[in-house]
Amino acid sequence: MIYGDKDLGVIVQNATGKQGAFHTDLMNAYARSVGGRGVVAGVAPGKGGREVHGVPVYNTVREALREHDATASVVFVPGGAAGDSIMEAAHAGLELVVAITEHIPVHDAMKAISYAKLHDCAVIGPNCPGLLSPGECKLGIMPAHLATRGSVGVVSRSGTLTYEVVDELTRAGIGQSTIVGIGGDPVIGQTFVDVLERFADDPETEAVVVIGEVGGNLEEEGVRSAELPVVTYIAGVSAPPEKRMGHAGAIIEGGEGDARSKVQRLCALGVPVASRPSEIPGLIRDLL
Amino acid sequence: MKLLEYEAKAVFSEYGIPVPKSVLIRTPDEVLPHLAALGDIVVLKAQVDVGGRGKAGGILKVNDAEAADTARDLFARTIKGLPVREILVEERLPITHEYYLSIAIDRSTKGPVILFADAGGVEIENAAREDESAVRKVTLPPLLREVPPFLMRELLGGAPKELAPVINRLYRVFMEKDAMLAEINPLVTTEKGVYAADAKLIIDDNALARQGITVNRDLSAREQEAERHGFSYVELEGSIGVIGNGAGLTMSTLDLIEYYQGSAANFLDVGGGADQERVRHAVQLVAGMPSVKVIVVNLLGGITRCDEVAKGIIAAGVAPTVIVRMAGTNEEEGKHLLAEHGYRMLESMDAAVKAAVEVSS
Repeated sequence: MIYGDKDLGVIVQNATGKQGAFHTDLMNAYARSVGGRGVVAGVAPGKGGREVHGVPVYNTVREALREHDATASVVFVPGGAAGDSIMEAAHAGLELVVAITEHIPVHDAMKAISYAKLHDCAVIGPNCPGLLSPGECKLGIMPAHLATRGSVGVVSRSGTLTYEVVDELTRAGIGQSTIVGIGGDPVIGQTFVDVLERFADDPETEAVVVIGEVGGNLEEEGVRSAELPVVTYIAGVSAPPEKRMGHAGAIIEGGEGDARSKVQRLCALGVPVASRPSEIPGLIRDLL
Repeated sequence: MKLLEYEAKAVFSEYGIPVPKSVLIRTPDEVLPHLAALGDIVVLKAQVDVGGRGKAGGILKVNDAEAADTARDLFARTIKGLPVREILVEERLPITHEYYLSIAIDRSTKGPVILFADAGGVEIENAAREDESAVRKVTLPPLLREVPPFLMRELLGGAPKELAPVINRLYRVFMEKDAMLAEINPLVTTEKGVYAADAKLIIDDNALARQGITVNRDLSAREQEAERHGFSYVELEGSIGVIGNGAGLTMSTLDLIEYYQGSAANFLDVGGGADQERVRHAVQLVAGMPSVKVIVVNLLGGITRCDEVAKGIIAAGVAPTVIVRMAGTNEEEGKHLLAEHGYRMLESMDAAVKAAVEVSS
């Protein structure tokens, strides 16, 4: 298992919001179905003392930790305030923060992720679907019924595309060890490199599906560092060129952030690259 | 959102970065009264948002006798397809040397990266590709407020120390204005001092509100409408409308259309947690495009709920042109609702896209 198992205690930040409350309930339904601990407390400043689907709510992460044993949080706080919530969680001593929030300003993400690192706290996301270890734990919003327990890890920059691939794998009878959505924003906490390292240390994982998209070169960095066999898929080969960030973007990325050249470079590394999601199960089977 | 040169220069100036004396004009007749203050020779710079503006004839050096005529010509032109509505009239600097300076975000180190080159100008990108050492690069932890002296020395190399304050001021602009990119190319030295001869500033779209910017000008009217509903939307040339949730899945749907030799009319990502109303607007927006023969809705519910989506699709009222593929949160309820209203549904993304390509051809 990577990041956590049944025993993982979870806090939800902004548990009283629409999405926070809805997914607190779904996460706990999942925890009950697998015999895990799930969400033990919610946090919402100014709303301490309430309950959300039977889960007690506190004003701060610190207060919640005084009453409950938790090491991770899931952040549903809206964009402008999400960076602050990530830092609050790290400061309070949590080891893992999963930030679901989309539209977080990129400067907030940079600062919060950097701050969390000073506190040895790993951040997954922002703008991600979270993490699911089938049969063990779910942190985030992945539709768990698509997944099934097995030996293939999945790590992805895209939320819904992850579900698509998991669905394909399950239909083909290939189970998953852990599924991690790392988010598609320009700055994210855990990258392909970090997640692939954890998969390499996980005795249950035998191969990994790496799902990337246009922009940056994080996929290639990840694949180069991978100790396990990987299959990749890159979305966006037909997409119109991204609005370029001018000279600096081109210099940093060497003009290689587009999906087509990314696919070419991955092929050159000798890695199987699927041309559509439905090819992934076949390529995985060839590896196992 | 990208600011125009004169807007970026106003911001730089606020932060103490010297810029050439200039005035913005909107009609050719405005140029003459300003010449006395700017000098005998001025530069007319079309304020249009395109790269390679100089090569396309958008930057012209003129003396005072011909200034009004040249401005009139420039206002009548289009630069790479864009009309010239504003011209920045700028003093001409006696340049001794040109440098390149920019600050962007490095995805790998998750922090600001400062790039500095001893040669500035239009060919910097090629120079960097041919010779990596032509551009010096330092990355900073994003919690720092300024560039520490040892990194500044590394960045400057043999370049004059008087450039250091400009680098620190641009770093403050970058951090405080929520910039994706802050660039001065060229950064010039003259006998009178250092100047930002050109200026580029791109603000993070997710931070426009707190920067006090209310309208994202980079978007077309239809794209702005799409944005008001919370969509990310791009118009394309083909005949298959595409609605998905999540950029990755939506892009992947476009890729699959290409794979089956169809052509997509658009990219529309309804975003996370789309409710009934947002989905209705999405379907109606795409159905309203004259080129669209069929719409594929490819949707995987996570934070988005399939029953909400189904209600939105039904409310849009264009059943014959819609092919739906949905799975995930509240999938059964969603499928049940659509079935009641006679919608065509397919189980896999491949099948749905294949069917749409057949209908469209």
